[in-house]
Amino acid sequence: MILRIVVWSILAFLLMPLVIIVLFSFHASPSLSFPFAGFSLRWYADVLGSAQLGSALVKSLAVAGFTALITLVLGAAASLAWLRLGPGGRALLEVLCLTPIALPGLFVGVSLLVLFAQARVQLSTVTIVISHVVLALPILIVAMRARLALFDPSLEEASRDLGASQMQTFGKVTLPLIAPTLIASAILAFAVSFDEFVVTSFVAGTETTLPMYIWSMMRRTVTPLINAISTLALLFSIAILFMAWLIGHLRRRSAVAGRTVS
Amino acid sequence: MTIRPPVIEITAAQKMFGSFQALSDICLSIEQGEIVTLLGPSGCGKTTLMRLIAGFETVTAGTVKIDGKDCADQPPERRPVNMVFQRYALFPHLDVFENVAFGLKVKGTPKAEIRERVQRMLHIVQLDSFANRYINELSGGQSQRVALARALVNGPKVLLLDEPLAALDLKIRQHMLVEMKRIHAETGATFVYVTHDQDEAMILSDRVVLMEKGRIVQVDRPEIMYAAPRSLFAAKFLGETNLFEATMASDDASGMTAVIASGLRFHSSVVPAGELRGKVIVSIRPESFRFARDNDTTQSATGQVEDVIFIGSRSFYTICLAGGFRVRVQIQRSTRTSLPKSGEKAEIFWDSENVVILPEA
Repeated sequence: MILRIVVWSILAFLLMPLVIIVLFSFHASPSLSFPFAGFSLRWYADVLGSAQLGSALVKSLAVAGFTALITLVLGAAASLAWLRLGPGGRALLEVLCLTPIALPGLFVGVSLLVLFAQARVQLSTVTIVISHVVLALPILIVAMRARLALFDPSLEEASRDLGASQMQTFGKVTLPLIAPTLIASAILAFAVSFDEFVVTSFVAGTETTLPMYIWSMMRRTVTPLINAISTLALLFSIAILFMAWLIGHLRRRSAVAGRTVS
Repeated sequence: MTIRPPVIEITAAQKMFGSFQALSDICLSIEQGEIVTLLGPSGCGKTTLMRLIAGFETVTAGTVKIDGKDCADQPPERRPVNMVFQRYALFPHLDVFENVAFGLKVKGTPKAEIRERVQRMLHIVQLDSFANRYINELSGGQSQRVALARALVNGPKVLLLDEPLAALDLKIRQHMLVEMKRIHAETGATFVYVTHDQDEAMILSDRVVLMEKGRIVQVDRPEIMYAAPRSLFAAKFLGETNLFEATMASDDASGMTAVIASGLRFHSSVVPAGELRGKVIVSIRPESFRFARDNDTTQSATGQVEDVIFIGSRSFYTICLAGGFRVRVQIQRSTRTSLPKSGEKAEIFWDSENVVILPEA
């Protein structure tokens, strides 16, 4: 009984801020405090009417899209390598991947900024995408690892045995089988990129992504617009993660089927 | 009549994995149309030997010739052999028809021909109505047939089978053994079959290649390997046997005689693998003994029946001979002769052709 109360309290503590933001995004008055003065969609209308916000959103979508695409290609290569590595190599790759995830974003941001300065690369959308790939690729590899472990390497041998070259084997066997995993992971990369703030703020130069735009708005004054934007972003993120889960879940059975004998 | 070269000829092959010697001094030739099993305990190198033929491993030394051609530089996809994998390795994203058609498709076979050959093969493995099923909808036995069809449809010179029945339960396994023989007869392909199961090897093979610790210890027809094992390992690995430590007593034209510690002499007319002297091992199968003397019976011993296990068609006796030597005896059921009971004295008889004298280790 006590345990149940504790669990519900923790959940309430975690979810309360989200609930409040969503609630006040529909508030009719600009006040961010109770009593609640009635429902309105006026903040959503303002959000959708803002040109600056629109361009920040487009920028963020473009960055996230390219990040997902590049991470997908690099991730496919990495997963092929992973399938061929021994246990030692896999452990090493894992450590290499976990390091950037564990490092503080602040540190990663500064390092990238210094790197770009050293290499005399102009800060732009390109540097944002590069930085996001650096952040997303390790997450993608770590996420794919569990599913790739279910891949039966004798499927590739069977393909070679039946006369397919290495390239044909990749196209006809390996890629179709790991594609759902890759796509699910790429969607995850999209989500990581879409709401990244800390590293982006170091390498964006004069560019503005959606999280940066929200942050700059907050610096001037806390407007109820923030609530509406945040609610939309929340819905978008949930939709993306649900999509990733769905793709992975629906195709998981077929990926496993090669190993289990009923 | 022309003399064909053996379809597979392996000469002085060696395989090292790092510093581990997986195969040493392998010489083996396999004729067109044979069923040859590579038999041995796990880790004896039988799967490695098969993978050498398939092209998934390369020899460290020696040669592997398929159809008369040295295939050292040929990757698996260029070798005229196909393999049935232990867990079938069927493609889960393709249906049964597409799985079987895979090999023909990558070789660019015309569509109409693919359709015809795949259907004929599905008919041979009795899966005509399963063409559009997905792999995860098949039972173990059905998956096994798809794996066979997928390999055989390519018309391989040699079909390699890597413990194909290991994942099936006993009843389906026995059925698939019969099927395998029928499919072999229908396709005429050469089968190389890896197993650790002596029964599978005995039932299927024209010849058994017995392996131990990376070496071939004996190559023979199954009935010869059973009757005349050439080493203690072979005698123990195939079937059940009684083993006695003994000393060589005589060796002449009529055969050899070895004597055990109690003074009992065993005379053997089986030609041994090599010269035997000093300490040896005597091996006699339980079914070689009888309780009745008949014409050609030349040897006998008396002992006490310690235990009788009756299992229908056969009975197993444990008989204690003089000096505490225990013998396991297997007798076919018979209504004509009365058999000794537990605790009684019994005389057992055997022939010299059933006595095998082996080197000590």
